[in-house]
Amino acid sequence: MAAPMRRTLVALHRATCSSLKNAEASLDLRHPVPLYVPVRTKKRYFVPPAAGLKRKQQEDPEAAARAAGLVFRQQYFERPINISCTAGIFDPYVPPEGDARLSSLSKEGLKQRTEQLRQSAASQLAIRKIKEHDPQFTSRGFAERAREIFIEAHGALTRFDKEKLHSLVTERGYPEMTRGNRYKTISWRFIESLEPPKVVHARCPDMVTKGNLYGQVTVRMHSKQILAIYDRFGRLMLGSEEQPKDVLEYLVVERHLVNPYGRWRLHGKIVPSWAPAKDPIIKTVMIPGPELKPGQEFEALNYEVPKPKAVQWNK
Amino acid sequence: MAFIRNVSGVLHSRLPVLGPQQLSCLHTSTSLESKTWERRNLKMYPPQQLDDVRRPAEVHHSRRQIKYSKDKMWYLAKMIRGMSIDEAIAQLEFNDKKGAKIMKEVLEEAQEMAVKNHNVEYKSNLYVAESYSGKGKYLKRIRYHGKGMFGIMDRVNCHYFVKLVEGSPPKTEEKTSFDQAKEYVQNLKNRTIIHSL
Repeated sequence: MAAPMRRTLVALHRATCSSLKNAEASLDLRHPVPLYVPVRTKKRYFVPPAAGLKRKQQEDPEAAARAAGLVFRQQYFERPINISCTAGIFDPYVPPEGDARLSSLSKEGLKQRTEQLRQSAASQLAIRKIKEHDPQFTSRGFAERAREIFIEAHGALTRFDKEKLHSLVTERGYPEMTRGNRYKTISWRFIESLEPPKVVHARCPDMVTKGNLYGQVTVRMHSKQILAIYDRFGRLMLGSEEQPKDVLEYLVVERHLVNPYGRWRLHGKIVPSWAPAKDPIIKTVMIPGPELKPGQEFEALNYEVPKPKAVQWNK
Repeated sequence: MAFIRNVSGVLHSRLPVLGPQQLSCLHTSTSLESKTWERRNLKMYPPQQLDDVRRPAEVHHSRRQIKYSKDKMWYLAKMIRGMSIDEAIAQLEFNDKKGAKIMKEVLEEAQEMAVKNHNVEYKSNLYVAESYSGKGKYLKRIRYHGKGMFGIMDRVNCHYFVKLVEGSPPKTEEKTSFDQAKEYVQNLKNRTIIHSL
């Protein structure tokens, strides 16, 4: 009687406790039912990469391409060197402070002018060397020629006449003149010259070998010009069409003397350390603020915008 | 062979030369490698006079071959059409779709480009004028079905194009339903009978 009763009890128990978890049912000690809990292996959600890939990863793609018959052209690691112009301005001219502040008619102005005329010995030597290669070189005539080259080069820049620009400006000066100007309209006019241009400095460096001479002459120019730059959409970015500005410039003109087909071309400009600040552009620009530590606040009242150092640089 | 050559020669001489009017009907399609959208950034305008209205700056930017579906990208592109750029970036940042993250990067790149290269003064003063997605190059794979049947599976890629214009976003006039109904009734009333007595 006990065994069949127990069997039915077990069946009932199983039926009623079917919703219960196995652990709870097994803990019922009154009916020690033999535990049969089906346990399956844990599903592998992560499949190791070796199982999925069909081909080995150590294959050499270059060897496979060569075997297939693909031929790669030989790569030449060359860097082009330009020998028609030098890479910079050697021994740049340091313009004296207060230049063009005094008029030539006053006593101090005359003194300045006479000092400038008697240049240093190195410049005289350089001019003599240039005269050996170019017998028609004169200081006065050359200054006028330099001004003409300057005017023509800037005229070509407004029209963006690449060929003419390359013949009037050296390869080093060309990117400095034209960077960022491709999609802008530049309108430039030369109104008049306030003082006659003057040769102020000359140097004759030789590159690599001893006889390979390049002549670099610095010309001082004081003139009135009009400059207006428009952006891609025709809106005024800098300057104005009506207001002329007085400009004091130190142009560096260069020529490869040893080359019989060499021409005097604009090489760069020297901007003195005491030059006045340029006009700001017609646009508000964000200046990056100081680096703050976490928790530090920006004090706008005590903050001074850092100004760059007044150093002479070559343009 | 000579006969055929002669016939073709005669045909060529007989064929009329297409004038400009006929040529305009021909569809000159662009090839797959043309990047027309980026070339719109290179268009130059002549300088403006002082009394002219200031022309708003336009920046075109795109990203090619994004690993996403063009139909799914369209929903996001349609969402940000006409929004100001700050609003668009904010909405995309908190959107759960995969394309939203990519679109946000594209918008931020375009904003930086506008300030750096296209003389835009304030980076917030931009709005999304045009934004749409296009089909990129698809890779085709085989999708195996039962009973030896197969289908061609497309691994989809899309392009995303956006045009930012300087200024505040244009206000769209919202028409109420009453206004629309009034317009409809007015249209009905305007009907006349022509050539009547």
